Amino acid sequence: MSASVAATIRERVQHIETMPAIPAVFLPLLKLLGNSTEEVRVDEVVRLVSYDNTIAAQCLRVAGSPLFGLARLPRSIKGAVISLGLRRVEAILLTCCLGQAFPAKKWVLDPVVFWRHSLGCAMVCRKFAEKLTAADAEKAYMAGLLHDIGFMVNSLVFPQEFTRAMDLACHEEIPLGEAEHASMGFTHCETGRALAEKWKLADDVIDVIAHHHMVEQSHNAQPLVALVHLSDFLCRMRGLGYGYYERHKVDLVSDPAWAILLQQHRELDGVDLVRFTFELDEAVEEIQALVSTVFGSTPAQS
Amino acid sequence: MTVGARTATTPFAPKIGEPIDPIFRQVRDLVYKVCGIFQLEEKLYLMADACGRRMKALELRNSHEYWDRLTAHSNREAELRNLLNEVTIGETCLFRSQPQVDALRKVILPEIVAEKSRQVVKRLRIWSAGCSTGEESYTLAVNMLEESELLLKGWTVEIIATDLNDRSVETAKAGIYGDYALRATTDHFKRKYFLPVDEKRLQVRPEVKKLITFSRLNLQDDSKMLFMKGMDLIFCCNVLIYFDGASKSRVIDHFFSNLNFGGYFFLGTSESLMKLNDKFHLVHFPGAIAYWKPSLKSGKL
Repeated sequence: MSASVAATIRERVQHIETMPAIPAVFLPLLKLLGNSTEEVRVDEVVRLVSYDNTIAAQCLRVAGSPLFGLARLPRSIKGAVISLGLRRVEAILLTCCLGQAFPAKKWVLDPVVFWRHSLGCAMVCRKFAEKLTAADAEKAYMAGLLHDIGFMVNSLVFPQEFTRAMDLACHEEIPLGEAEHASMGFTHCETGRALAEKWKLADDVIDVIAHHHMVEQSHNAQPLVALVHLSDFLCRMRGLGYGYYERHKVDLVSDPAWAILLQQHRELDGVDLVRFTFELDEAVEEIQALVSTVFGSTPAQS
Repeated sequence: MTVGARTATTPFAPKIGEPIDPIFRQVRDLVYKVCGIFQLEEKLYLMADACGRRMKALELRNSHEYWDRLTAHSNREAELRNLLNEVTIGETCLFRSQPQVDALRKVILPEIVAEKSRQVVKRLRIWSAGCSTGEESYTLAVNMLEESELLLKGWTVEIIATDLNDRSVETAKAGIYGDYALRATTDHFKRKYFLPVDEKRLQVRPEVKKLITFSRLNLQDDSKMLFMKGMDLIFCCNVLIYFDGASKSRVIDHFFSNLNFGGYFFLGTSESLMKLNDKFHLVHFPGAIAYWKPSLKSGKL
């Protein structure tokens, strides 16, 4: 990417008036997710969400959907946490927050498809990290959730260019990032980074957003970036992709990201990747239903 | 998690809305560990139902007694085989796994065709190992015919379908299927590649059959396995789950040498190779998993 393109991206992202601010509870929620024990988090989540009635109401509506099969609808966020567990409520809240930040009408990419992939990736990152000792599973979840925010930026800031990239990807059945590069000269990684810097996200999360397709270029958080890279691939291969067929063969163990992660976590060698893949399939239905409840439609699986 | 419609057939199977007895989760893990076939959480009720049928046959009173049969009883291996029969019952049908077909036609065939394009004889050899009553073999043949005017124009396709059971091989050769086996076959394909036999059954057309050679073969017969050379693709679905670890490992080693460099080996959609061979590369395609024998050019051997 040339310096002038980089400058254009930065400039456009800095001055987006059309992009609404993220709900105030989002960043504290993310911080909470990464830094505290479960007991503290329940109280903090309840306190934070009580500041934003819209988010709280939406969260309760989703919690009460048939997806979770609760006999009685929760009347409060705390009630929802007790019935559904903190992790599910956090996932619902983060989805609601980010859903609010981006107006549905301005999407080039179907928001249901986008969130399905992002939440799926977040969940896979966490499950993956849980298999590795000394990996921060909550940080991995957050990184997975946000890794593709550049697509949202492209939808809002470069709608025409991004529509062309999307058409090319669907038509040629190639990865969306490759299509962006071919038709726009830059990708969601660069625009995502610009937004992440504007939002002042943590450095390692910015690194993930910027380098999850080129892990070797990451300087600050290579193992985390590698973990997101591998989880992203797995999601795209197991029904949590971008809504079209990707003509792609993925050899995870031969991927440079695998070697990077292995250097830090020798126990990766013992992970049964096939079983892990099957277990991921179990979560696909729940993720689809969660996202459909928040955004109100069911897209084709891919 | 929502669960699809349940067809409980035994008193032991959980009723809709009832939690599943955790022992069936243990059975699921045991079956995976020993046989390499995995039941998704959302399909655990099928496992519970299969266990229920076995418990009924054995006149056992509860799931704990059945767990003992599977783990502590002198006949535990035979019982595990009986359970596997129940678990995989009715799984076979034509066009069972669309993602596998997509991976084959959209990714693998273009790759193999490109790789072999400079060879004088353009020949593709596919082996359906443990072909049972022929559903998988005919699915492959139909898809190859679909490509015959496109990607495989000018190519010779040879499908070798083998099974241990003579009766299965005879049924496969006849190529006559009813509604159940054809439930995933589109009307278009039914018209194009089948002829009606009677009101309920269709028979595969001769031009499809022509692609396939059916024969009897025991995968554990080492001397015969050595002759199955030069394969580009091997499909072996829900067969190795019945083998013990050592035999499984030996058969997989054979498959690896039977394949050409750059060839692919497919198991059933819920099966795993369980790290029994470290030369194969596990590869993912959208919705499908396969094992790849790296090509010489790839530098990944």
